[in-house]
Amino acid sequence: MLRWRKVLPVLRREYLSRVQTKAFWISTISVPVLMIGATLLPTWVMSRTGGEYQIAVVTADPGLAQDLARVIAERTSRHAVAGRLQVTVRQVTPEGEPSAQRQRLKRLVVGKELAGVIWLPEVGVAKGEVEYLTSNVTAFRLIGSLESAVANVLLRRQLSRAGVPADRLDELARRVELHPVRIADDLGETADAAFEKSFALSYILSLTVYMTVLFYGYYVLRGVLEEKSSRIVEIIVANLRPMELMVGKIFGVGAVGLTQYAIWVVLAVNTGAIGALAGAAMPSATLVPPHLLVFFIVFFILGYFQFAALYAAVGSAFNSEEEAQQTQSLVALVMVFAIVLMMPVMSSPDSTLSVVVSLIPFFAPVLFFTRMTVQTPPTWQIVLCLVLLVGRKAGSPPTRGGSRLQAQGSSSPAQPGSRLQAQGSSSPAHPYQGRFTSREGGGALSLEP
Amino acid sequence: MGDAHLEIRNVHKAYGRVAAVQDLSFAAPRGSVFGLLGPNGAGKTTTIRMVMRIALPDAGEIRLDGQVIDDDLRERIGYLPEERGLYRRMKVLDHLVFLGEIRGLERGESRRRAGLWLEKLGLSDRAGRRVEELSKGMQQKVQFASTVIHEPELVILDEPFSGLDPIATRQLKDEISGMRERGGTVLFSTHVMPQAEELCDHICLMNRGRAILTGPLDEVRARFARSALTVDTPASDAELAAVPGVTAVRRVEDRRVLDLGEGVDVAGVVRALAARVPLLAVQPVVDSLEDIFLKSVEGDHAALA
Repeated sequence: MLRWRKVLPVLRREYLSRVQTKAFWISTISVPVLMIGATLLPTWVMSRTGGEYQIAVVTADPGLAQDLARVIAERTSRHAVAGRLQVTVRQVTPEGEPSAQRQRLKRLVVGKELAGVIWLPEVGVAKGEVEYLTSNVTAFRLIGSLESAVANVLLRRQLSRAGVPADRLDELARRVELHPVRIADDLGETADAAFEKSFALSYILSLTVYMTVLFYGYYVLRGVLEEKSSRIVEIIVANLRPMELMVGKIFGVGAVGLTQYAIWVVLAVNTGAIGALAGAAMPSATLVPPHLLVFFIVFFILGYFQFAALYAAVGSAFNSEEEAQQTQSLVALVMVFAIVLMMPVMSSPDSTLSVVVSLIPFFAPVLFFTRMTVQTPPTWQIVLCLVLLVGRKAGSPPTRGGSRLQAQGSSSPAQPGSRLQAQGSSSPAHPYQGRFTSREGGGALSLEP
Repeated sequence: MGDAHLEIRNVHKAYGRVAAVQDLSFAAPRGSVFGLLGPNGAGKTTTIRMVMRIALPDAGEIRLDGQVIDDDLRERIGYLPEERGLYRRMKVLDHLVFLGEIRGLERGESRRRAGLWLEKLGLSDRAGRRVEELSKGMQQKVQFASTVIHEPELVILDEPFSGLDPIATRQLKDEISGMRERGGTVLFSTHVMPQAEELCDHICLMNRGRAILTGPLDEVRARFARSALTVDTPASDAELAAVPGVTAVRRVEDRRVLDLGEGVDVAGVVRALAARVPLLAVQPVVDSLEDIFLKSVEGDHAALA
């Protein structure tokens, strides 16, 4: 039985004391900035990895080098100037002993005079492999464009040797790109569902759910421990039922999270405008479908309640953050599992593994949501997932979790302290009782002659 | 003063196999200052916690005004725990308002009274400051104000004087006396006997979870009033011992203490003394509460040994 006139002051206090801090606003602003930054940074860095490269081609074919240079130039001309690869291709005619020539060229590569050497002494590739000598094998972009350029040039050579007229070469050796087109349940097509953008979006949103559920859960833990260490808890529990305190605390902290989410959603809806103002390539707001924003909030709420209750239980069993650290990290570990599984789930959201793990209540807030960002799961799964989550939440009120945890602590009968805790938790379930009873009990014990 | 305001009847509480409180009964009359006395670990705090329902008794019942105390009834009690703390980062006024609210005041009313209290404590200019910016003494004042902000009919103070400086101690004593004058009941625990002696009109002396002395302070004192006189006289011990009713003569510093027989009429002995020897001063021996306390606790331990 909750008396809301008792719960509300606690709820209000928890909410205001957090929203009124600078830290709240700093994190509200910095989290999306960091998230978007972290996701866009690799793409951005990639786009800046242009530059000038000197490449040597060892070949007897005099036209090969020019052809290569031309094809590379064509391909990279689509990029922004800053990110443009500028490759100068120099022809080296095979002469003398091949191993001696190879040795000379390798020296040039090590001496940074050449970025690399394409070793192609005979025209025509029997094995389908061409050697590229370089000191940097992880220059993916350069190697990638060289690879496709070499393949293209060699294809042209082979076609022309097979008797194809020169004017048809461009047409036959045209490069083909696969453009993903996303199909929705209503058969609608999203033509420009650029893979990277959709991926980044799933990632940002799922990661946000993950982080906020953990953060706000941890706030609850901190709050419980702060009340103990500042010793105000005694006054509180003399006036409130434990359940009233916990409900006020969890709802109050949760309301802080919702406020933050509301701000983010408003920002997200207006990203287009903000992006335009900043002149930056922000992921367009239209990318986030409204139903996703709704589930974004729903999964935060459901995930938060689960973990807040767990954290409250941890908090009730310990007296300080140091003591709670170990157990607390176990709770966090559950969430880390979800993050580890996020990639497989994202790449095959329909697989049995994905369906099963995403329905496990502990993982659902992150993983089921991840699935939703990629493609809409069947309705029955959405319903099942929500039922499981809500059912769990109703089934384990935080105080019950607390007393359960204390009862587990009592399984080692050698320690009088923990035995006392078990006694304490058998009277009205009390998240703070473990501490009080053991302290009092300790005092009484010391009187024994 | 006749009716019991707070009544504790046959209360038991054990933690594991250790009994913290055993068969405890006492009643604090309305308008009294009731002292819950005893050495550390006697069960005072456990008793108070049971009144506040922070711990529940294993047996027995606790009534306020004849009603068994439940969660709602606690709003009529003002409780200051021994371990008192505040949310350090909260603003002083907000904090006081919050504590008023959880003690049952409606928000607006709590705000009004919090303002009045801060004014009374001379802290109005600190209302917007964080609690942690207040000195320890000021924090204690805020804590005390929050204990009575809802104007409770019964105030329970657990070791209220621990950690207070002499000025704050004086103020708290005045406050306790003031509450009694206004018709409220005050129950406080302490192991400092002179304080109890100064303030209480009723006591319960606890040891090892049991009440070993209960009742009005006067009665307890009378029960322990020894039949003895301190006299200042040039007469010899033999002369004094010869007075009827005197059983022994002891020297204590430069005075003599005459132990009298059981049931002897003390006034008669004084008259006989005055008739036989020159008397400079005569005084009945009265045990201080501290003596009673020590004697009772020692007696209790001896009985158990």
